[in-house]
Amino acid sequence: METDQLIATERFCTYYNVNFSFVESLQEIGLVDSITIEETQYLRVPHLNEIERMVRLHDELDINREGIEAVHILLHRINEMKNEIQVLKNRLRFYEG
Amino acid sequence: MSFVDYYKTLGLDKTASDKDIKNAYRKLARKFHPDLNPDDKDAQKKFQELNEANEVLSDPEKRKKYDQYGKDWQHGEEYERARQSRARTQSQEGSWYAGNEGGGFSDFFESMFGSSGGFGGGKQTRFKGQDYKAELQLNLADAYATHKQTLTVNGKNIRITVPAGIENGQTIKIAGHGGPGSNGGPNGDLYITFSVANDEKYRRSGNDIHIKEDLNLYTAVLGGELVVETLSGKVKLPVKPETQNGATVRLKGKGFPVYKQEGSFGDLYVTFNIKIPTDLTDRQKELFTELSKS
Repeated sequence: METDQLIATERFCTYYNVNFSFVESLQEIGLVDSITIEETQYLRVPHLNEIERMVRLHDELDINREGIEAVHILLHRINEMKNEIQVLKNRLRFYEG
Repeated sequence: MSFVDYYKTLGLDKTASDKDIKNAYRKLARKFHPDLNPDDKDAQKKFQELNEANEVLSDPEKRKKYDQYGKDWQHGEEYERARQSRARTQSQEGSWYAGNEGGGFSDFFESMFGSSGGFGGGKQTRFKGQDYKAELQLNLADAYATHKQTLTVNGKNIRITVPAGIENGQTIKIAGHGGPGSNGGPNGDLYITFSVANDEKYRRSGNDIHIKEDLNLYTAVLGGELVVETLSGKVKLPVKPETQNGATVRLKGKGFPVYKQEGSFGDLYVTFNIKIPTDLTDRQKELFTELSKS
């Protein structure tokens, strides 16, 4: 495990001015993945973008964790659909060639 | 610089209560929030306008100033006094994250209240800087091999490695090369989308390449060899006797490199276009006639 790819959850909460319990509640529903090393809980740095987004949705739009989960799922679907559209566009280019 | 009607932005009239303002803002912010409208520049612009309107109307002092001098912001000593109070108001505001494009307020806002980027009313949250987006045009031969390329983004030269096999429309992230973070937050990222142009000869379908090759009638009938020019050089292709026009053969592993899978390639499909000989001599015509009778 590369430790430079981890950030202590507590540090993240201090840095972003977020309640620890909020991050914990996201972990409970499986939206945030964490790892514990020597009793310290860490978040994975590559996931920070998504966690930041959840923090913004919560702080700025008063969306609760269930709402965040729904948004997360829908955004994931939008991304999948965008990728699919791109693949289809590339196939179309092949036939229009 | 023109007057901005903040009430209109939030769909309210001047008599709106604090609660009305909060509700209208929340409702519209949910609709236009950049996190809910990825890659939608219009939504981002609208969200900025909403932020600006909310910044003014949700703050009693600013709202009062706006109601009093808003339309006459260019005139009057009261306005001058309002200008002088910028420093006070600036220090009280928080900063909206710059994780999306834009983030600044209008000239109208800045001339009246100073340049504060506020979202969230005084909360000094650290957020990642703005993500930058760039497009890089490649031709098929460029996308065939891993190579380095230098880009200039916001005046800075960035040397990137373009992995072989990149797809048209594919986006890669260069971490930390976006805008600076706010309140000590980390830098944003740079997203580069590749536009891989079509090629007249080689048509790409995923990792496979398709080409059309002319084949003379005699080789098609009797069999032989054909030298085919691929993106990685010339390949000798055996041609079976009695090859039909439009027949396709597959050359395994002679297609496009698979993205980030070194040594792995798609296939090359060669479709034969049989050329009928022209300008036949009398003797040749005679032979074809004999052949037709056999």
